Amino acid sequence: MATLIDELASAIAELEDEKVLELVTTRLDSGIAPLAIVDNLQQGMTEVGMRFESGDYFLSELVMCGEIMKDAMAVLEPHLAGADQQHRGSIVIGTVKGDVHDLGKNIVVMLLKGAGYNVIDLGIDVPAEKFIEALKESQAPLVGMSVLLTACQEGMKEIIEEIRAAGLKVAVIIGGNYVDEAVKNYVKADYFAHNASDAVKIADEIFTTARGSAHSA
Amino acid sequence: MGKEELFQERFNRYTTALKGGKPDKVPIRLQLSEFMAAYAGITLQDIYYDLDKNIAAVDKILADFDMDVIGGTPSLWWAGQHDAVGAKYLKFAGRELEENRQFQYVEDEYMLADDYDAFIADPTKWILESYLPRIHEEFAEPGSYRANLALIKGTAAMMMSTGASQQAGAHWAKDFGMPLSIAGFSKAPFDTLGDTLRGLKGIMMDLRKRPDKVLAATEVLVAHNIFYGMATSGGDTSLPAFMPLHRGSYPFLNPKQWDTFYWPSLKAVIEGMWKLGKQTLFYAEGNWTPYLEKIAELPDHSIVFHVDQTDMAKAKAVLGGRFCLSGNVPNTLLAYGKPGEVKEYVKRLLNDYAADGAFIIDSAGVMQADVKAENIAALIEAAREFGTY
Repeated sequence: MATLIDELASAIAELEDEKVLELVTTRLDSGIAPLAIVDNLQQGMTEVGMRFESGDYFLSELVMCGEIMKDAMAVLEPHLAGADQQHRGSIVIGTVKGDVHDLGKNIVVMLLKGAGYNVIDLGIDVPAEKFIEALKESQAPLVGMSVLLTACQEGMKEIIEEIRAAGLKVAVIIGGNYVDEAVKNYVKADYFAHNASDAVKIADEIFTTARGSAHSA
Repeated sequence: MGKEELFQERFNRYTTALKGGKPDKVPIRLQLSEFMAAYAGITLQDIYYDLDKNIAAVDKILADFDMDVIGGTPSLWWAGQHDAVGAKYLKFAGRELEENRQFQYVEDEYMLADDYDAFIADPTKWILESYLPRIHEEFAEPGSYRANLALIKGTAAMMMSTGASQQAGAHWAKDFGMPLSIAGFSKAPFDTLGDTLRGLKGIMMDLRKRPDKVLAATEVLVAHNIFYGMATSGGDTSLPAFMPLHRGSYPFLNPKQWDTFYWPSLKAVIEGMWKLGKQTLFYAEGNWTPYLEKIAELPDHSIVFHVDQTDMAKAKAVLGGRFCLSGNVPNTLLAYGKPGEVKEYVKRLLNDYAADGAFIIDSAGVMQADVKAENIAALIEAAREFGTY
């Protein structure tokens, strides 16, 4: 486990919720740019993601980190209006129509944000139209879909078909407890991820190498 | 063969395996759930709301497939019963959802962090006075005319659905020679707290912010969950109580959290029921591989260990000989595979893990409408072909 030099980044990585809020507030008060504070939070989240990947952290720590981040961002957001946030690219994500399970999706969203992506989270029970609208608007080259209920995998296939039929050239990554190679092939997705850190790795691969072009894993 | 004789033969086959023995054939127990509705051509709305159709879906399955036990109806509960009390935490097809959508549980922090002390002091009082009014529209003001009526409606509906289930069990035994796979239901105390009371985010924050309260609450739930398992089985000890296990699956909790908060109270519930002669169907949803050694601490045969994503080879190595195992035909294979592939999987599974008995064949997870009927037929055909001792 790496030790982070910045106190705020370190507090996130160590899941010290009260210290995080205190540091965010004092830094804002002392005139530090809100975006610089966001950067530190992201460093902390990246470390949390790495600790999850290495097996030092578990889902309980990721859920806690997500809650701490949510509280910290609630303090920061009023100060971020108009600020030009730099990001590595946009990703649209949602739990597919018929399914309302969002634990896995929320963890993926958190780690992707931590990794510096602009994540457009459409929430749960998302129909094809909403995915298509968000993809057109954001020009995101990657869409993530989450599904837990196996009976909703058929709906996922239809959503992917509609996205392709709308002429959108995006890569599709899917995830969920019962998602594997067979499901990926059936719904004609480009990638599947077994866990949140795999999802981030695949996103990194797409954004650094084959930006915007859908190809098979 | 007469139905009574057939019932006895299947019952013996199943219970012999449960106790760790080697029956004449590997018993077939399939958690078919909502697939039964799809197969019978009945909408989920009808399955959730119409008790007769819920039972008719099982009849259709029993007429067409050769199994040894049946787990019950496709719907876990009767939606009408929840409507009668205005349950806010469930959504059903035909009401909030389209007619063929699976029911949904709406997770929330129905118990607040501030409720711990009252809950620990007297859980029943807290549930009646604080929790039930929060999650039921009709019971929002306890003591009011409307709330009193809700209690009566809720009780009447509970009796109706329980009565229908009992009659269905007797009907399947008499007309199809088919025993039930389970009797009763219970949960891990941490899941009771984490699933329905505090919710996932709540409980995960509690582990850090108020660990002592979590521990005290799970301890309070031990006696309740033992009682619940025995009460819902009407005292039956011939069949296991169904225990779906959730938050203890890897990698929800870190090893220290698992050892401290999840395992001791779960172990106490299982041992408590076992002392009363009641076995537990340890329905380990997800992956439990890192915890097998701990699970092996349980008394011999006190559980049947169900394998979903747990490593079957390791489960056999660690638990085999002392506990019956069940599982684990992958749900994606049953949905997207070909009958030949299903047969091949079953053949290998039985060859590798069922040779010395104490093995029940089942799907890995609870099945849904996506499973193909021809794959269920292939599973059963292969289980009979390669699962006869």
